[in-house]
Amino acid sequence: MKLLKDVPQFLFFTGKGGVGKTSLACATAVRLADQGKRVLLVSTDPASNVGHVFGVAIGNTVTQIPLVSNLSALEIDPQAAAQAYRDRIVGPVRGVLPESVVRGIEEQLSGACTTEIAAFDEFTELLTDPAMIEPFDHIIFDTAPTGHTIRLLQLPGAWSGFLDDNPEGASCLGPLSGLEKQRQRYSDAVAVLADSCRTRLVLVARAQRSTLIEAARTSEELAHIGFSHQYLVVNGCMPKSEASDPVASAILKREQGALAAMPEVLRALPTDKRDLLPFNLVGVDALRALLSDATIKLPDAVQHRTEDMPRLSGLIDEIEKAGHGLIMLMGKGGVGKTTMAAAIAVELAARGHAVQLTTSDPAAHLADTLRGDTANLTLSRIDPHAETERYRQHVLETKGKNLDAQGRALLEEDLRSPCTEEIAVFQAFSRAIREANHAFVVMDTAPTGHTLLLLDATGAYHREVARNMKDSTRFTTPMMQLQNQEHTRILIVTLAETTPVLEAANLQEDLRRAGIAPWAWIVNQSLAAAHPASRLLALRAEQEWKQLESVQQEYASRIAVVPVQTEEPVGIDALRTLAETD
Amino acid sequence: MKKLQVFDPALCCSTGVCGTDVDQALVDFSADVDWLKHAGGHIERFNLAQQPMAFADSAVVKGFLECSGAEGLPLILLDGEIAMAGRYPTRKELARFAGLSAALEAIAVTEVKSDACCSGSKCC
Repeated sequence: MKLLKDVPQFLFFTGKGGVGKTSLACATAVRLADQGKRVLLVSTDPASNVGHVFGVAIGNTVTQIPLVSNLSALEIDPQAAAQAYRDRIVGPVRGVLPESVVRGIEEQLSGACTTEIAAFDEFTELLTDPAMIEPFDHIIFDTAPTGHTIRLLQLPGAWSGFLDDNPEGASCLGPLSGLEKQRQRYSDAVAVLADSCRTRLVLVARAQRSTLIEAARTSEELAHIGFSHQYLVVNGCMPKSEASDPVASAILKREQGALAAMPEVLRALPTDKRDLLPFNLVGVDALRALLSDATIKLPDAVQHRTEDMPRLSGLIDEIEKAGHGLIMLMGKGGVGKTTMAAAIAVELAARGHAVQLTTSDPAAHLADTLRGDTANLTLSRIDPHAETERYRQHVLETKGKNLDAQGRALLEEDLRSPCTEEIAVFQAFSRAIREANHAFVVMDTAPTGHTLLLLDATGAYHREVARNMKDSTRFTTPMMQLQNQEHTRILIVTLAETTPVLEAANLQEDLRRAGIAPWAWIVNQSLAAAHPASRLLALRAEQEWKQLESVQQEYASRIAVVPVQTEEPVGIDALRTLAETD
Repeated sequence: MKKLQVFDPALCCSTGVCGTDVDQALVDFSADVDWLKHAGGHIERFNLAQQPMAFADSAVVKGFLECSGAEGLPLILLDGEIAMAGRYPTRKELARFAGLSAALEAIAVTEVKSDACCSGSKCC
């Protein structure tokens, strides 16, 4: 593998949940340790199962792995790091200031930015402290900071007393002003990240259109700030040996199409391909198999579970009964929110209901296919990029007008935070919300609970709505509408894999904090639901069942499982098949 | 010289970047604070999300939060006494609070000049 040639001191794996970053990081660590290198593996995955993988409790201290000599591991829990940070700020006033005030402060410090910056703070010393680094030849991280975080840390305006003088100018960097470590340490850490002799970034993707597009975006963003020493691993590819199975063969074809259309920036990177393995990567032997090119012998006896899981049509039946309402699909990028939204909208329209589908699908092909083709269905498309840009310009022209160059640069970076995009897009979406009193409105995105709480806490929406309505005594805020299950149904979309399920559970927790109860979960792209004949796929399906059961038993009040789509579901007919009874 | 203290609500980004819209009152007030500092006024700002201890340490602010909640903010103290709550002061009010009579006159002069078409800066 190219990835394993001339490995530098630091190795970072990056990619979205479920692509196999942690497995690849673990496997690489084992391989290097097997070669006699002294290796430290650092997991910052909140779902870290590194301890489980090696059969040893790890936690927040450097722990020797008994089964692999020369290998130590450390787990940093970014949520815990953020909690510790919140406790430092909020702890001293808890019980002193009123409870509601304390809760408000905590919410301010509960954004994704706080978590990321707190995690970065935790591992800066692993990049800069000689006492931490010297015992090891390699330090391997199963995650990498985002471009947004790094750019913030690079801005001179982020330091130099700007925050002290302009507390009102600090947003994403608010958390930083309370962090203990020194500016020097952050800038050293950023320098290490940018040094191609010391650091290698490994982008991990699957052979799917959306994850490749996302990897390309990450690649460009990081290259733009000087991190161009990148490698690519396309993980979990369907092995050609399975082509006799119709499901496998269709997936294979789809994957080949995605790879053929791979974004240009990724083509230039040194690339490795790894096949889908029949088992989950638990245990040292499994990890060794991931990076080996030896053929894996499948067990002869495979259990084929054939029971049926609830289908999407069941959810649609229930939604239909209400006659109207708002349906919002939520979930991490790449789980298929847009496709699910379109499938629900098309089916409701086909059953004779007036439906408005509002989508932020960046690829206009879905919009093109649907437009004007179906009775009862109207489509509006929101361009997240354009909405965010408009919002950024507006803020810069108003808020930015009195700032000096440094302050303006900082504000500009703050406006590149994920929250900004979420807010800008939600503003555009909220225009469609009131339509839902008369018809079905289906949306493929929704704001997180954190954002809603912030919007609501400021009361800005109340004021805004009140201003826009003549009768200011009776109005409903978006928050109130989203909390009303009669009016709004939130559907969480996920995949039947460990990290995506955990991410979805966190999302649900976040919404509950805002008083919003998700109505149902959709598990998309399920192999188990496709009942594959191939032994390899049946073994994968067996792993999926564990996730499906945990979704059903622990998280979801309603569930629908959508079988893996063997073709890009584009067009009315293809979308309608997703909602078929069987 | 009188000391002004401003207790801001907890805003993860008081720019309004994370809010529904940029709060013009905050934009203007930031500029006014800047102006007051240059005119020699003594003014400090505290953000509830970042410096909650400053809120807890002041009996006046703490008492205010107990009866009005964080929704009642901002709170403006003048030498430790409540001068204003629920909104940000105008530049004129800031100057009056801070006892900057010279600066106050400068504002008055500017206003007279700009009054050519109508009274006050609000109509045109």
